[in-house]
Amino acid sequence: MFNSVDMQNSESEYRIEMTGISKSFGVVSVLENVTFKVKHGEIHALLGENGAGKSTLVKILSGVHQKDSGKVLLNGSEINPKNTHDGQVLGISVVYQELSLVNDLSVAENIYLHKLGASKFWMNWKQLNKDAQELIDSLGFEIDATATVRDLSIVQKQVVEIAKAISEDTKVLILDEPTTVFDPTDTQKLFDNLFKLKEKGISIIYISHHLEEIFKIADSITVLRDGVDTGSMVVANTNTDGVIRLMIGRELTDLYPIRDSKIGSEPVFEVKNLTAKNNLVHDVSFSVKPGEVLGIAGLGGSGRTETAKLIFGAYKKESGTLILDGKEIKTKSPVDAVAHEIGFVSEDRKEEGVFLPLSIRKNISVTNFSSISSKLGFISVDKEYDNVLGLINKLNIKTPSSEVDVKNLSGGNQQKVALAKWLSIDSKVILIDEPTRGVDVGAKVEIYNLINEVAKKGVGVIVISSDMPEIMGISDRILVMHKGTIYGELPREKFSEENILRYSIGKPIKQN
Amino acid sequence: MGTTIKEQLSSPRGILNFLIKYNTIFIFVLLVIFSAIISDVFFTSVNLSNLLKQVSGIGIISIGMLLVILTGGIDLSVGSMVALLAVTFAILVNVVILPVAILLTVMVGFALGSVAGYLVAYQKMAPFIATLALMTVARGLGFIYAKGSPITFKTPGGEFMSNFANNSTLGIPNIAIVFFLIVGIASVMLRYNVFGRLIIAMGSNEEASRLSGIKVNKYKFLVYAISGSLAAIAAVIVASRTNLGSPNMGMAWELDAIAAVVIGGASLNGGRGTAINTLMGVLILGLIGNILNLLNVPSYPQQVVKGAIIIFAVLLQKFEKK
Repeated sequence: MFNSVDMQNSESEYRIEMTGISKSFGVVSVLENVTFKVKHGEIHALLGENGAGKSTLVKILSGVHQKDSGKVLLNGSEINPKNTHDGQVLGISVVYQELSLVNDLSVAENIYLHKLGASKFWMNWKQLNKDAQELIDSLGFEIDATATVRDLSIVQKQVVEIAKAISEDTKVLILDEPTTVFDPTDTQKLFDNLFKLKEKGISIIYISHHLEEIFKIADSITVLRDGVDTGSMVVANTNTDGVIRLMIGRELTDLYPIRDSKIGSEPVFEVKNLTAKNNLVHDVSFSVKPGEVLGIAGLGGSGRTETAKLIFGAYKKESGTLILDGKEIKTKSPVDAVAHEIGFVSEDRKEEGVFLPLSIRKNISVTNFSSISSKLGFISVDKEYDNVLGLINKLNIKTPSSEVDVKNLSGGNQQKVALAKWLSIDSKVILIDEPTRGVDVGAKVEIYNLINEVAKKGVGVIVISSDMPEIMGISDRILVMHKGTIYGELPREKFSEENILRYSIGKPIKQN
Repeated sequence: MGTTIKEQLSSPRGILNFLIKYNTIFIFVLLVIFSAIISDVFFTSVNLSNLLKQVSGIGIISIGMLLVILTGGIDLSVGSMVALLAVTFAILVNVVILPVAILLTVMVGFALGSVAGYLVAYQKMAPFIATLALMTVARGLGFIYAKGSPITFKTPGGEFMSNFANNSTLGIPNIAIVFFLIVGIASVMLRYNVFGRLIIAMGSNEEASRLSGIKVNKYKFLVYAISGSLAAIAAVIVASRTNLGSPNMGMAWELDAIAAVVIGGASLNGGRGTAINTLMGVLILGLIGNILNLLNVPSYPQQVVKGAIIIFAVLLQKFEKK
């Protein structure tokens, strides 16, 4: 069956034809009847907001996920990769956003990991290292093939990842946000390589938020919005505005609450020259007023999450001052931050936000023992249930009882539990990192209303989000981070995806 | 979810689910019935009180082990600590009055446990390694202090303890009463006290606990210190039963304690387990030994049966998770 792939089907104009693709995870529908076609030897950009379904679509192509319905053709013959190995055998290679290297192996071993698994008992290490070195040299980067991956910089790791993807007999190369960690020189090198690969007839699917990049390298563009494709076009026939219009599409007013909370005049919380020990964040200064929702935007790796964790005491600070209600405070650990009534909702719900094996009740109470237990630490069952059931009602957490384990809830309801934990105590400042990641639209609206309500109570709310419509919809003011510091600030009247994107990549915004 | 026991038992499928959910109690009851059928002497008060006396020491350290395991750790040092602390108690009871001897022994236990707690919580050492090292240290110290041979009780205080440890109140051996009391306290603490709630939270997700403002290190430290203190209470009991403290006591008890906790349905990843189920685990292990003794099975085949039962119990718990 796999052999047929190698025989070029001359009747097929396309290398890849995905038609009628649908996919849902549980009750959340991620892709609906999507059509996506890539020609031989073209660079095809796949665009869309976060959560639009880009990653899921390419993961179906590469065998990570299985489609619920639809057809995938490679060179005109139907394929059904059940796992990434199937995908590789078919010549579909992926460079993922999250690096997938084995840290303790050498560069060469990582590049040829698939060979190691399939090899006979003995491996010709000299040959392996030589091949790997040649491959990396041909890409134009300087990395020692015998170095251990752990010792490489993040840029070098990304190069190894790319080398790994093209080390096989690749026909389709998928790159998911490959340049996030690259500087312009490295990015240009990558583009040169992609052009070379394209000339060899390899089809390249390129996922990126950087519209500038897209217009530099792509031949065609397909835009996904909320799991539906909004059509493909040839790059020459469109421009940035056209693409952005397709990406945003919907009316924003339906989703987001009217911001009508009274914003205080004096800041409730100020950050001055915050710098991280590892320098991933430096010289961050801003303030938030009571009742204000302050958005922090920026690309992945721009230091947004690190900033929040620094404030919350979860990361080590090198220097900087925090001022709460006019008084300087120190947050050496989250314990200090909580004592000062600062709350933090992590972007990583499962690993850092909720306690999956524990009940909703135990999850919510974990921050709130001072008001439901005696001096000796004995919990008042009545008080605990009152508090928990009140929050379940208020947040509309859909569950038969407070005793259901959080792992059995949907993403949206899990996120509400993560928020409830902080709503049950008094907070002066709440940091919310990606408030609706992996949450369906219905729950999103409820979470937005909740954030609005919290702000109305006079809390300073700081929201970090990669979802541009979201951050523009709920914030009063947006700070944009770039390379570990705040690059620009946008008042509400200057909100636009273009402005955010421009600041994110370190460019000034166009005036008027 | 939200169904009563009555509803659960109203269908055959429900009964099966019920048995799977309460598998520890189910195995325990099964073993009791089995034992009663195949041995005439099983249900005699002498045998039952012997059984309880035998399990009390391991039972007490199992509760400490449960607390440690709930945080996602492990304490391999408790068996050796029982030896060192039994020797400590035997030395102390011969030189100071009884209450002081007991108090000092528990304080030494707390201190030893604190060493493990400090290494794990503040030096970020793997619990397995830290307590493995302490295990050999404690055993070695036990032999050094005892000069290689058991130390017998020589004072009225020692005699009092010996009487206490070998007698019963209302038909229940005194040391079993101590054990049950500890189970009761642990059960209440885990269910209704912030301390218990927090160590369960830590075990189920340490990073989320830290980011909820919980003093993770402090509680981690405390569970090892408590485990050490409970090892001290177990040591006092075991030494008193035989009227002496020996550096050979508590040999491999840490493994029995881990087995009891696991049979009781606790997860070695932390976050899951109860004191009552650990009590069941302790009784099940004790029962197996008891019935095999009654059947005159030699000790090596006993070990094989014991291991098989542990595997069976844990396999049964996999059904529960599904």
